[in-house]
Amino acid sequence: MIRKFFESIGRYILFLKQVFRKPEKWKIFWRQFINESDKLILSSILLVGVISVFIGGVLVIQTASNLENPIIDKMYIGYMVRESLILEFCSTMVALILAGKMGSNIASEIGSMRITEQIDAMDMMGVNSAGFLVLPKIVASTLLSPLLMLLSLALGLVGGWIVVEATQIIPSASYITGIKAFYNGFYIFYSCFKMSLFCFMISSIAAFNGYYARGGSLGVGRSSTQAIVTVSILILLMDLVVTQLMLY
Amino acid sequence: MIKVENLYKSFDGVEVLKGINVEYEPGKCNMIIGASGSGKTVLLKNLIGLMTPDSGEISYGDRRLSEMHEDEKRHLRQKIGILFQGSALFDFATVIENVMFPMEFFTDWSAAQRRERAQYCLEKVNVIGSDNKYPNELSGGMQKRVGIARAIALNPEYLFCDEPNSGLDPYTSILIDRLISDLTKEFNMTTVVNTHDMNSILEIGDKIGFISKGELKWQGDRHTILQTDCRELRDFVCANTLARNIIEGK
Repeated sequence: MIRKFFESIGRYILFLKQVFRKPEKWKIFWRQFINESDKLILSSILLVGVISVFIGGVLVIQTASNLENPIIDKMYIGYMVRESLILEFCSTMVALILAGKMGSNIASEIGSMRITEQIDAMDMMGVNSAGFLVLPKIVASTLLSPLLMLLSLALGLVGGWIVVEATQIIPSASYITGIKAFYNGFYIFYSCFKMSLFCFMISSIAAFNGYYARGGSLGVGRSSTQAIVTVSILILLMDLVVTQLMLY
Repeated sequence: MIKVENLYKSFDGVEVLKGINVEYEPGKCNMIIGASGSGKTVLLKNLIGLMTPDSGEISYGDRRLSEMHEDEKRHLRQKIGILFQGSALFDFATVIENVMFPMEFFTDWSAAQRRERAQYCLEKVNVIGSDNKYPNELSGGMQKRVGIARAIALNPEYLFCDEPNSGLDPYTSILIDRLISDLTKEFNMTTVVNTHDMNSILEIGDKIGFISKGELKWQGDRHTILQTDCRELRDFVCANTLARNIIEGK
């Protein structure tokens, strides 16, 4: 089992080496990049948006219910919601959601191409199949995912504000003051960095699993599941490592 | 010309190819025949470089595959057209985009030139009016034809076909066989067809190599196959009623 683990890591590194070879034609690469940006990032906006609005609202209610002490200024509720969103929800939680959506999409797409010999056909033409199929996915998801994080943050704050307005749980002015208080720009960078890293992991690991899928449609399903499980665990692990390195 | 010398390949200690020696000539339909599990697909995959032999040599012209650098191999691959068993058309591309795909990568032709060449190839295989359809909208026979059109798009020197008529009705099978044979002669390609279909063998087999249990047991052509003394080949051939009747003179 340990040997298999190290074999997989070795194969993953060799796979990345193949992926990051210079594209045969930049024109084709950019066209694929646009397609993948649309397929992976733009198509995730609705899902991320809806979840962020609801989570923002829930965070307001939960934080308010835990801060009933009259000595503590109500603006801290807005402040804590913002920090929770920036530090953890908008990067880690959204990445876990994307691991399911993007990860299964990538692994099953590439896996079915593998079992129907489409990847063999590309290789036999002399096309770097890993570069053509995977590089645009990795670049699109890594570069553009911080935009999803920022969108999630904005919509999470809006969700919180909607709940504040609808329930009057705290004064709206306090919430607005709170979300503007003690702003630390580094946290935004930290969260964007985490999101990029996680999306790199999602796209590359899911593609790796799909690329080496074996055993017909069952194999594709297996590779897709394995990709999501592996990526989810690694996201949590890397979250811990990155947080320790960057915040402490 | 493709030359195979003393080729061995095994998986987990089981020898699948045992010392294959054979030459494939240009302008001919060279056929690899044998029962399922005999090792013919493994031989084909070794020929096209999807597998690496344990020992032995494969030469394209006067260059050995094992001595080629990666760049040289990539260059060679551009001279190879392949028709896969399941056609392997790209799901994300339309018929015409599938045929233009290799041109996009390996030529500097304009979009109009690529389209013109793709349409020429599609006309050659008699696929007309389906340019903008996706592979899943085509019948099995049509997919094979588009696969052939894509395989010949860059005017290859070598054409490999892995069971070109599997899953096709007898009439479409013969059309595909004739198409492969005609294109082979027209473009003087070295064509290697992997099949176990007796109709194909008798229709287009200019040179035939029979593989059984990983060994090349017999070589000949479609005119001599029915007179063979090789018992295993006779058993294989006689599994087909038509061939058995011919052999037995009925």
